[in-house]
Amino acid sequence: MSPAYTVRATPEAREAGAVALAVASLPESFGPADAATAADVLVINGRPGWTLEAAQAVDGGALGIVVVNPAPEATDALSAAAETAGTVVVLDQRWASNPALSGDQEAVRSTMGRAAMLDSVATARAGTDAGELLADHLAAVVRVTGPLENLRLLRSGPHGYAVSARLANGAPATLQGILSDARPAGLDLSLLTDDGGASVAVPEPIAAWPATVKATGPQGEVLLPTLYESAHRATWRRLKEHLYAGTIPSDLHRFAVLTESMSTLS
Amino acid sequence: MSSQSAGSHPLGVGILGAGPVTQAIHLPSLARLGDLLTVRHIMDVDPNVAASVAARVGATHSTSIGALLGDPDVDIVAICSPHQFHAEQVIAACRAGKKAVLCEKPFAMNAEEAAQISAVSQETGVPIIVGAMHTFDPGWLAATENWGDLPATAHTIRSSIVLPPNARFEDFATEIITRPAGGAPDYSDIEVIKGALRGGIMGLAIHDLPLVRAFTPDFDAIEILEARHVRPFGYVISLRTPTRSIELRAAMNNTWKPEWAFEAISDDAALRIDFTPSYVQAGSAVATFTRDSKTTIHGPFDHNGYEGEWRELAALASGTKQPPSAQTLIDDLTFALDIADATAASVDAQQAAEPAREGVHA
Repeated sequence: MSPAYTVRATPEAREAGAVALAVASLPESFGPADAATAADVLVINGRPGWTLEAAQAVDGGALGIVVVNPAPEATDALSAAAETAGTVVVLDQRWASNPALSGDQEAVRSTMGRAAMLDSVATARAGTDAGELLADHLAAVVRVTGPLENLRLLRSGPHGYAVSARLANGAPATLQGILSDARPAGLDLSLLTDDGGASVAVPEPIAAWPATVKATGPQGEVLLPTLYESAHRATWRRLKEHLYAGTIPSDLHRFAVLTESMSTLS
Repeated sequence: MSSQSAGSHPLGVGILGAGPVTQAIHLPSLARLGDLLTVRHIMDVDPNVAASVAARVGATHSTSIGALLGDPDVDIVAICSPHQFHAEQVIAACRAGKKAVLCEKPFAMNAEEAAQISAVSQETGVPIIVGAMHTFDPGWLAATENWGDLPATAHTIRSSIVLPPNARFEDFATEIITRPAGGAPDYSDIEVIKGALRGGIMGLAIHDLPLVRAFTPDFDAIEILEARHVRPFGYVISLRTPTRSIELRAAMNNTWKPEWAFEAISDDAALRIDFTPSYVQAGSAVATFTRDSKTTIHGPFDHNGYEGEWRELAALASGTKQPPSAQTLIDDLTFALDIADATAASVDAQQAAEPAREGVHA
């Protein structure tokens, strides 16, 4: 039986998004397109200029588009074109696409209004571009916290960065990037309230190492259900769900908030 | 109840100030070291507190520093009084000819006092150590023995502290009598915020600042990038030197779950030390090195830095160990003072930059 949708990826996107593995894990829904025919789903790399490339794909009749590691840029025009054409555009982001950050973690979200401090640390290999890491980092943090205020770049260099921000209730928030080969890459986020808080640890998206989400309160600590699904596969599963349902995801609108935040970094 | 071994005499300890730190930290630690040390004299300005705490350990009590320093049974003096008295009491203890002095942190409130103490210590030959317990923790000491070139190569340093209120841990350690009264700070007052940040650095961060300094060869070029207060008590401070990035985090709230971690990270190696919380005799820190996907763990050991301090004091007083360099103590103190001063200046600068938000979160 043929898969429901055929897929074609640019070489960079194929590698960065581990596309073959993700597609193979949803064999009823997706399969590679043959060379002679147009693909239903296009996978592109999110390097600067990706919104133009994606808009061309929309014009070309793509049913779905996956953007791997999108760089911050304005998405208004793409968003409008995709909605008009009914094209499903999903973003495959390093940490923000992890299913543990899917926005329905009530145990975490409910602590936001009472937060006293947010501390987050992103670790990536030495030599990683600090700006790209910060974009991935910020995307994941705002997925949990919502928009941050008063973003300020305190320092940035070959070993990492420090960014200061405020949560909506005025509590201090920090984003620290560390470039080192000593530890596995990943994101750690700690949200403190007066009587506990929440912590989130997100691994790299290449494998299905589970993210851990813990909520701490007066009664103890709860480890929320761990999902053994990589960020890449979670992205493709969402694409599938939107394609089958004929719905438009909020990825581009959400990404516009991130782009706006990055542009305000002073 | 003493476990004094035959033929040896434990060294006599006198303690100036019998508040919660003495009750919850030092007396339980000393109770584990009966072969080496025994409490002989407790002094407190409150005679009832002095008598009550002394009775717990069968010691003499008084309300006078002179009485304690003149007590021939006291070999080692521990100074656990309010910060502003530390310098003069350290100097008096040295001049009284004691064998060693433990001063709770900070051992002075400015560099001049520190220099005076150093001079008196040299003149009298009385060794002094400062009660920054993490530097005596076997987990930290194991890290120092195994860190290779990490102090020279680390580029990122973090200290992250989450603690329940002190009283909760004091109550796990002993039965406290008399606590200092707490207040309700007015966070709309920028001076209150500055005072809280200074208190956070000199009272809490100071435990880890000697560790930070061990990884910061250019510590005298420290620069504050931003300092913010965390309610009800804590801080978020970003610092740097020409070669190091340093992040300090602390929050004291009503959580039951403590966390106290120190980290130093280079391009190819990382150290994380997880310390046990203050007050309780919960064993040592655990030091974890990661290099090339390999993880090496040191600890936990059976005692923490509080007991480590007293073991060190016993060794110094009996002459079996050389005292630490006075310059190290001065450098540790001036490093902390520099950060505290720069933090206050940073808060002023932030307020000048955005006065509208002041009083919400500094």
